[in-house]
Amino acid sequence: MADDRPSIEEILAMARSQDGGSADTPAPAEPEAAPPAEETAPAAETSEETPEAKPSKPAAPAAKPSGVSDILAMARAQDSGGGTEAPAAEEAKEAEAPDETPEAKPSKPSAPAAKPSGVSDILAMARAQDSGGAAETPAADTPAKEAAAEDDAPSSETPASAGDGSRPSVQEMLQQLRQTDGAGQATEAVSETSSERPMPVRPAAPEAPVAPPTPGRRSVLVALMLAPTQLIATPFAIAWTTLTAACGAMVLGLARFMFPNTLVEPPMTFKIGPPSDYPPESVSTKFKAERGIWIVRSTMYNGQDQIVAISTVCTHLGCTPNWLEGEQKFKCPCHGSGFYKSGVNFEGPAPRPLERHGLRLAPDGMLEVDKSKKFQEELGQWEDGTSFVNS
Amino acid sequence: MNVDPFIDPHPNLTPAVLQGLGWLYLVLCAMNLWWTIRVYREDKHVMVPVLNIELPRATFWALYTSALMIVGFMHVSWTNEDYIDRFPLVLEPGGPFQTTIDFVVANPVTYFVISITGTIAVLLFRKFLVKPTVGWILLNAAVLFQALSMTDYDFRQIVGKPDNVPIVALLYLVGGFTWLYFYKAVENDRRLAEWDGEGPVPVLENDENEKVLVWPDLVYSELICMIAITTLLIVWGIVLEAPLEEPASSAKTPNPSKAPWYFLGLQEMLVYYDPWLAGVVFPTMILGGLMAIPYIDFNRIGNGYYVFRQRAFSIITFLVGFITLWVAMIILGTFLRGPNWNIFGIYEYWDVHKLEALNNVMLSELFYLDWFGQFLDMPSYGNDDPLGKQVSMILLRELPGFAVIGIYFVALPPLLAMTCLRTFYQRMGYLRFMVFTQLLLWMAALPLKMVLRWALNLKYLVNIPEYFFNI
Repeated sequence: MADDRPSIEEILAMARSQDGGSADTPAPAEPEAAPPAEETAPAAETSEETPEAKPSKPAAPAAKPSGVSDILAMARAQDSGGGTEAPAAEEAKEAEAPDETPEAKPSKPSAPAAKPSGVSDILAMARAQDSGGAAETPAADTPAKEAAAEDDAPSSETPASAGDGSRPSVQEMLQQLRQTDGAGQATEAVSETSSERPMPVRPAAPEAPVAPPTPGRRSVLVALMLAPTQLIATPFAIAWTTLTAACGAMVLGLARFMFPNTLVEPPMTFKIGPPSDYPPESVSTKFKAERGIWIVRSTMYNGQDQIVAISTVCTHLGCTPNWLEGEQKFKCPCHGSGFYKSGVNFEGPAPRPLERHGLRLAPDGMLEVDKSKKFQEELGQWEDGTSFVNS
Repeated sequence: MNVDPFIDPHPNLTPAVLQGLGWLYLVLCAMNLWWTIRVYREDKHVMVPVLNIELPRATFWALYTSALMIVGFMHVSWTNEDYIDRFPLVLEPGGPFQTTIDFVVANPVTYFVISITGTIAVLLFRKFLVKPTVGWILLNAAVLFQALSMTDYDFRQIVGKPDNVPIVALLYLVGGFTWLYFYKAVENDRRLAEWDGEGPVPVLENDENEKVLVWPDLVYSELICMIAITTLLIVWGIVLEAPLEEPASSAKTPNPSKAPWYFLGLQEMLVYYDPWLAGVVFPTMILGGLMAIPYIDFNRIGNGYYVFRQRAFSIITFLVGFITLWVAMIILGTFLRGPNWNIFGIYEYWDVHKLEALNNVMLSELFYLDWFGQFLDMPSYGNDDPLGKQVSMILLRELPGFAVIGIYFVALPPLLAMTCLRTFYQRMGYLRFMVFTQLLLWMAALPLKMVLRWALNLKYLVNIPEYFFNI
């Protein structure tokens, strides 16, 4: 079905010939840029609609000489056109390629004819792609693919497809344009003559239809390889790159700091003497300073005579409470939290009981604390057999 | 009474104290001499009721000044250490007075009631308080109160601590600047009330709007200020030595353990709220809220000069927030919080073993156990209950708390918009009003939680220690 439809370049060429001169290049190009915006109409209709669409599209792009904005415009056109190559593209390709190739070219040569500058060439091409609607991307190298893609245009407007790698890079376009310029076609007037002109460029094209994604993939590769140069392209970029690098180095240094070569701290597991060292209903503070634990022997928690190792870290904000023998409670000096001998909180802001550490009776009859384990009462972990020793 | 430290380790009077107080009285005397001259020049007279004669007001100030001079010289010249207890003119606040003060300030309820009623009283009686004579009397009263209290050993230990000296000075500054604000605001209010709306606003600030030059007027002033401040800092650094304590140890927390003075308000909040709220959310809300004030404020008048009536709401809100919720808490934290973070009176000995009942309950316990007499079902952990059941049980348990907080933060703003803050809502628009009420509610959350703590012994509204989530 795509056969019936003229390619963008054809339309362009037609438009130009109607206008009767290469000088008007920008004018015919613009109207065609408009339809894709409203898209989903077949490309064939596009050419008919051009006259009406003309006013809707401002001539601004043509007037703008700046390269960046042109490239931008092209990017936008691609997005709005939502070009895709569907699987169908492959089948359509072979058949259409021969017909379209000759006609496809005119647009490009004609552009140089009108304006010899590279930027305006890109512009012209961008406009041509606009008119193509869906399949603008392949247009540059593979007319066949473009035509095929046009079929899918109505159904695929999604901009998501814009980044699928089939888009020719700016460099490629420039390169191609330079080749055409170099061939001395700049002075050519009208499209028919120039339609043969692209042929020197075309030689590359025959390969394209066979494997359309290849140039896309290559361009992505090139873009990827060139991407790092963007990091030092401007003083601004250099500044940010340097800052990022410095911050990254700092983070790495910090990460390294977390793993010191030697760790000077007492072992997590240690013996605290036999159970007989701890008389009933007693709180031993002798390991508080060095190990950060109290050894408590009490029946207070659940009626059983247990020896436990209680952490000296307040559960409110991490201060170290004091054991007040007279009041029989742990009392935190920072915000007044109070804990029973069992470690259960009962006053002040502490939200939960003090934590226990692991405690077991070692084979040699000594109590052994394991500070790497902790047991939280509110999670029911004080029932755990390794959190206490019965005596 | 004897100064021998082996007999009395906590002497109320020492020669050094008498000397220092003597100089303080002499300074006060000099200040009042200036004031007496000032009053004399004004040449105002007052009728003495009983004697029925008219006297210049300066007479009374002259009598007061000479009394101060006598007292000051008595203090300074009393060098007989052996008979310090026979010092004839010692001015001590006395037992009943001290007991009363201690009783009042050592109770958080009375303390905050006083700080709030004091702020309200200042707002109500501002026209009386800003009279120069009243201001001067207030200053004298403050200095005399401090001087008399300095004869108490325990008061001296707190106020005389090198850390706390600048805080005492700051209190005078806060009082002085608040007075200055009200002085100017009351005057501007009066002028604006008489203003017919023509010409420039007749405020104090416009009286002296002559152009002055940066150089030399401003730069010279700055230079003089710089030299004065540098001198002050050097003298301060030499005279008041920084307290040097034992090496820090993770196993030993000083008792009491106090934050820097400017964070004592936060530390006080931590008594009532969970750390993630009092240490993270509240400071963020305070800073964010202060930054949001210019965007919330819809009042177009009263900018650029001191005024009260034109900005009454903003100023009342700010003063309540600043004086009662920040400065009062700094005072509380600095002077009243003692060992184990108990509250002590200013004349009270810091007893590590002072017992203070701080038993608290959760809202869930109050709700289910006390009010509805139901058994409070706790999820069992470990392998017993699946996670879903645990979570649903916790949520059910904390439902009352979530409901209270939901009503407070979600239902109250629209309610306020419909009732007492209706004009605000109309003038501010939806979004601004919501931000404004949320900030206001956050600010009110602290005193409300305090009241709940005192009234119901309520610890947390929502208590999920399993996931470190408490409100």
